Amino acid sequence: MQPFDPVNFRGQFQFFQHNPGWVYLDNAATMHKPDVVVNAITSFYQRNNSNVHRGAHTLSQNATRAFEQARDDIATFINAGARQQIIFCSGATAALNQIAFGLMHTVLQPGDRVLITALEHHANIVPWQLHCSRFGVTLDVVPLDTEHKVDQQAFAELLALKPKVVSFSHISNVLGHIQPVAHMISQAKATGALTVIDGAQGIVHDKIDVQALDADFYVWSGHKLYGPTGIGVLYGKTAALELLTPIFAGGEMISEVNFSHSLFNILPFRLEAGTPDIAGAIGLAAACNWLQKINSEQVKNYKAMLLKQFFAGLKKIGGLDILSSPVHNAGIVALNVQGEHPADVAELLNQQAVAVRGGQHCAMPFFSQLGLAGAVRFSFAPYNTEADVATSLQALTQAAEILTA
Amino acid sequence: MTLDQLLTDTKPALSQIYAEDLPELSQARDWQSKYRILMQLGRKLPPIPEKMKQPSLLVKGCESRAWLMHYYNQHQDQHFFVLDSEARIVKGLMAIMLSLVNGMSNAELKKFELAHAFDKLNLKPYLSQSRGSGLNAMMARIKDCCR
Repeated sequence: MQPFDPVNFRGQFQFFQHNPGWVYLDNAATMHKPDVVVNAITSFYQRNNSNVHRGAHTLSQNATRAFEQARDDIATFINAGARQQIIFCSGATAALNQIAFGLMHTVLQPGDRVLITALEHHANIVPWQLHCSRFGVTLDVVPLDTEHKVDQQAFAELLALKPKVVSFSHISNVLGHIQPVAHMISQAKATGALTVIDGAQGIVHDKIDVQALDADFYVWSGHKLYGPTGIGVLYGKTAALELLTPIFAGGEMISEVNFSHSLFNILPFRLEAGTPDIAGAIGLAAACNWLQKINSEQVKNYKAMLLKQFFAGLKKIGGLDILSSPVHNAGIVALNVQGEHPADVAELLNQQAVAVRGGQHCAMPFFSQLGLAGAVRFSFAPYNTEADVATSLQALTQAAEILTA
Repeated sequence: MTLDQLLTDTKPALSQIYAEDLPELSQARDWQSKYRILMQLGRKLPPIPEKMKQPSLLVKGCESRAWLMHYYNQHQDQHFFVLDSEARIVKGLMAIMLSLVNGMSNAELKKFELAHAFDKLNLKPYLSQSRGSGLNAMMARIKDCCR
C-alpha cells in the first residue's frame, strides 16, 4: 500500500498538463484517467487485440485471458463472492435498464410494487417507469425530509407496502449526501425485497465490499472511477442474476440456437450479448488495480479536507443558497446564487475556466419538489488541489458580483 | 398584458439594442464588461407574464427554460416575436438574435443564417459557447414560424 501524495497523484493525469488553465470540478459527471489506464487501453490495442471467447487461435486466447483477468480484478476490487457475479455492461444506466427489464415477469407480477427514492438520478427512475407501466407494476417514491435527505420514516412506511424491489443510490449525484445504505438495505431485506444500489457516485468515494453491504445488485460506471467511458459493472449475487431475463440477445449469450428456440449460456455470458468492450474492461481493471495500491483512507481524508476548505470559503460569500450539507458528504456541493439561474452562474464560471455543471443534473423530480430551476454543482476529486478550491471560490465571488451588480 | 402590448413594448427595445448595445458590446474590453452588457440587454425586453407562459410556448432543447410568442402581419408580410428566458445571459443573447430578425418578411426569415449574422458582428464565440443554452433551438423555433 502506497501513501497518498497529492502532487504525485495529480502528476499521473496528463489531462492537467494539456489543460493547465482549468480548474476541473465536474468530477461527478466524469473523472480524468491516469496514465496507467490510458496505457493499458493503448497497449491492448497495439499488442493483444483480438476478439474474445471465440477464436481457435492463440491471439484470441490471449485476449480472452486478459479480458477475464479484468473480471477477476474487478471482482477482487469490490470483494464479490464469485467472478461470474461481475457482468460487464456499458455503465450504470445500462445496468439499471437490464435489472428493471430483467425482473419483470420473473420477480415482478402485475399488482406488485417497486420502491425508489426522490433523490434518484433519471437512470434509476425512467427504466422503472417504462417497464412498470407496461407490466402493471406500481412505482412508489420515498419523499425527502427538510434536509433533502431520504425520509427514513417514510421509507419504513413504504416498505410496509411490501415492494418486491427497492432501488436507490448510494450517494446522491446532485447533493453528494451519503445515504445510510447498510441500514436501508437491511430494512428492505427484512421485508423480503430485492435490493438494487446505484453506485455510480458511491464506488469512487469509498472502498466497496459488496458482500458486507449485502445488496442483491450494486451497479456503477467505469468513467466515474478513473476508467474509460462505455464500460460499467452490474454486480449481482448469483441467485439474483439468475432472475434476470436478458435485455440483449445475440451472440455469446447462448449455448444452443435453433429457429424454434435457443438455450441461454451460463453466467456471466448470458447477460453479455455480443462482443464486449474488451479494451474498456481492461482499462477499468487497470484503474481498480491502481486504486487498490493507494491508501484509500488518506484519499478520503484529503478530499474531506478540500471539501471543508470549500465550505469554509462559501460562508464568506454572501447571498448563496447551499443545498448540500457538509455532513456525510462525498465531495459534492450544489448551490445557487440567490435569485439567479444556475445556467448564468455556470457560464460565468466557465468564462473563468472553472468547469462545473449547472442545471438539473438528471434529477428533474428532485428540483421540481424544491421549486428550483436547478443548481450549480461543484464536485471534487483527489487530484484537485487547495489552489483549485481557492480559485473556484474567487471565481464564484466574481460571478455573484457580476450577476448582482 | 396582451400579446399586442408585448409586441409593442418589444419593438423599441430591440431597436435600441441594435443601435446602441451591439456597438457597445463589440467595444467592450474584458469579459466582465461583455457579460454585464449582455445581461442588461436581456433586461430591456419586457418579460412574458407567468400567466401567459403556456406550455406550448416553451422552446425545448434548452438547459434553462425559454418561451417564444409570434405574430405574423399578413398584409405587410412581417414576422414579429416576443421571447423570454429564465437565464439572463441566454436572454441577452436571444435579445440580440431577435433584434436581427424581428420584422423580417417571410422570405428574409427563411434565408436568415444566425451563424453568418453573428460572425459578421463578431459574436460567433457566444454562439458556439451557447450550444447547450438553447440559442440554436430558439432560432429553429423562430424559423418554424415561416409560412
